[in-house]
Amino acid sequence: MMLSTNYKIAAVHLTSRIKQTIVALLGVTFGISMYVFMNSFMTGVNDTQTVLAFTALAHIRIYNDGPADNTNLVKKVYGQNTLSNIRNAKVIQYTEGIKNTAAIFNLVRKQPEVIGITPQININVFFRNSGNKLNGTLSGVDVENEDRLFNISTYMIAGKWQDLQYRPDGVILGSGLAQLLSLNIDDNVNVLTSDGVTKNYKVIGIFQTNVANTDKTKAYINISAARQLLAKNQDYVTDIQVNVNDFEKTAPVVARLAPVIPYKVESWQMSNQQLEAGSKLRDIIAKAVSLTILLVAGFGIYNIMNMTINEKIKEIAILKAMGFSSGDVTSIFLTQAMVIGVIGGFIGMILGFIVADIVNHIPFKIGGLNYLPMAYHIKDYALSFIFGLITTLIAGYLPAMKASKIDPVDIIRS
Amino acid sequence: MDSNIALKADHIVKYFYQPEPFEVLKDLSFEVKKGEFLSLTGKSGSGKSTLLYVLSTMDTDYKGQLQINGELLTGQSLNQLAAFRNKHIGFVFQFHYLLPEFNVMDNVMLPALKLKSKSVEEIKEKAYQNLKILGLEDQALKLASKLSGGQQQRVAIARALINDPAIIMGDEPTGNLDSKNSQMVFDIFRELSHTQGQTIITVTHDEEFAHKSDRIVEMRDGVFL
Repeated sequence: MMLSTNYKIAAVHLTSRIKQTIVALLGVTFGISMYVFMNSFMTGVNDTQTVLAFTALAHIRIYNDGPADNTNLVKKVYGQNTLSNIRNAKVIQYTEGIKNTAAIFNLVRKQPEVIGITPQININVFFRNSGNKLNGTLSGVDVENEDRLFNISTYMIAGKWQDLQYRPDGVILGSGLAQLLSLNIDDNVNVLTSDGVTKNYKVIGIFQTNVANTDKTKAYINISAARQLLAKNQDYVTDIQVNVNDFEKTAPVVARLAPVIPYKVESWQMSNQQLEAGSKLRDIIAKAVSLTILLVAGFGIYNIMNMTINEKIKEIAILKAMGFSSGDVTSIFLTQAMVIGVIGGFIGMILGFIVADIVNHIPFKIGGLNYLPMAYHIKDYALSFIFGLITTLIAGYLPAMKASKIDPVDIIRS
Repeated sequence: MDSNIALKADHIVKYFYQPEPFEVLKDLSFEVKKGEFLSLTGKSGSGKSTLLYVLSTMDTDYKGQLQINGELLTGQSLNQLAAFRNKHIGFVFQFHYLLPEFNVMDNVMLPALKLKSKSVEEIKEKAYQNLKILGLEDQALKLASKLSGGQQQRVAIARALINDPAIIMGDEPTGNLDSKNSQMVFDIFRELSHTQGQTIITVTHDEEFAHKSDRIVEMRDGVFL
């Protein structure tokens, strides 16, 4: 009942000076809507970036890193104090590619996080169409699993991805590569490997990922055809690409696999730190901007609450004279801050959604996008609401404490 | 302590420190009997208001001892004193100090809602009775700020009475009123003290008001005359 009396006083304070209440509400509303919008936008950008990045990148890659630098064997045997003179040292690569892939496949598949795994044979080759020569990467792929990991079939602009399965003579080119070599569907392209082997393939499809570097240098053939091109056995693989259920959480899987697989096990974060850095930096910017806005809104509330308290100073004094405790006075003003925070928070979330939706409809035709990207995550909305509430509580708490410390004698006697 | 004593002040000494140390109350001791209507008079700066605020428990920065209804109040915490004021002291100030955004009824009910010793229905009934005694029952649902000065002061008295306090304290309760309203307020106070045994302590400049009360205590330079 005491609380309800305090609430009643708070309600009268809020409604009797409706304009100031609205100004305070607008501050919170604006702060929270910007927080929602900024975070949705940044999350959208990051999600788009992630999708783009993972068109050519698996979460975990297992490959043969080549032997370590073993050119000075003398030093290893005789120690640092022995002078040795070895000229033009050569490295003999004992193993190429990954051996015993079936066992590694089995091992990786047993990890509960793993949702996809595909073998690849990546070969550096020259693509030739008569006079035009371009170097690039020819990927021999397991057609079905490759698509499962990288969704290549959705990037096809000509031909069908699945056709590769049945066409040992077929190749699917990146759009940039096809253009530079003046190639179209059903044309022939000649491939020259570093070992000097050449072979003709028929263009059965063209893909476009919008990652320019991929589109200009990459082509796919069936994995069996790739083995044939290199004259390797049916177990030969250069890379094993693995996807896990949460691309952020590759570390535990890598930590588990690395000691038991005699090849390099590398997460995308290790090989593409710039991507991770970019995404983290955008997050930081978004949080900094939105928190700044909330802070400004907080100052607005602080000011208005302070004004209210200065206006109501006599009433506070009389309440205290009549026996209201410091706690009652604090609760009266904190209640006002809470009401402003909760109502402003709700309107702010709705406004934030509206702004995000409008921005999401602004055309943006670069890099395969049609509109500015936007993400709609409950988490962003919940966080904005919580931050908004915390801001208003702090902004309301300081003036409320000031009010609770008012000495009624000073006010009534002056 | 004599159960007939409402308030007992023992060797009250108070200093003001601004602008320079100054002894405003000089070792004052006195008692107020239950049902007594006492006027504190004196010129400006005599210390009468200062004394009233010490007696009211709102000012705790003094030396000496203060007892009301046999309860020692010196040394209690601010929140304890607030609770004590709520239950045992009613205030009527010069500028009536109602909450202007609340209606008359709410203003009168507030101290009782804080005290919580009765149900809301009982409090409403009591507030309405108080307003009726003071001739304000028609104004019950008006905003406090819409009333005339005399009406507001009567509302303040109704509010001071809501918890049946041991003492009503008035700081120039008629200071802002014309003679007709002053007379009305005086009549109410006398009625309260004589027929209901209500103890009343008021600070006043109003000679006429003071002379009609039961007992006058005049102050000068921090001492009783």
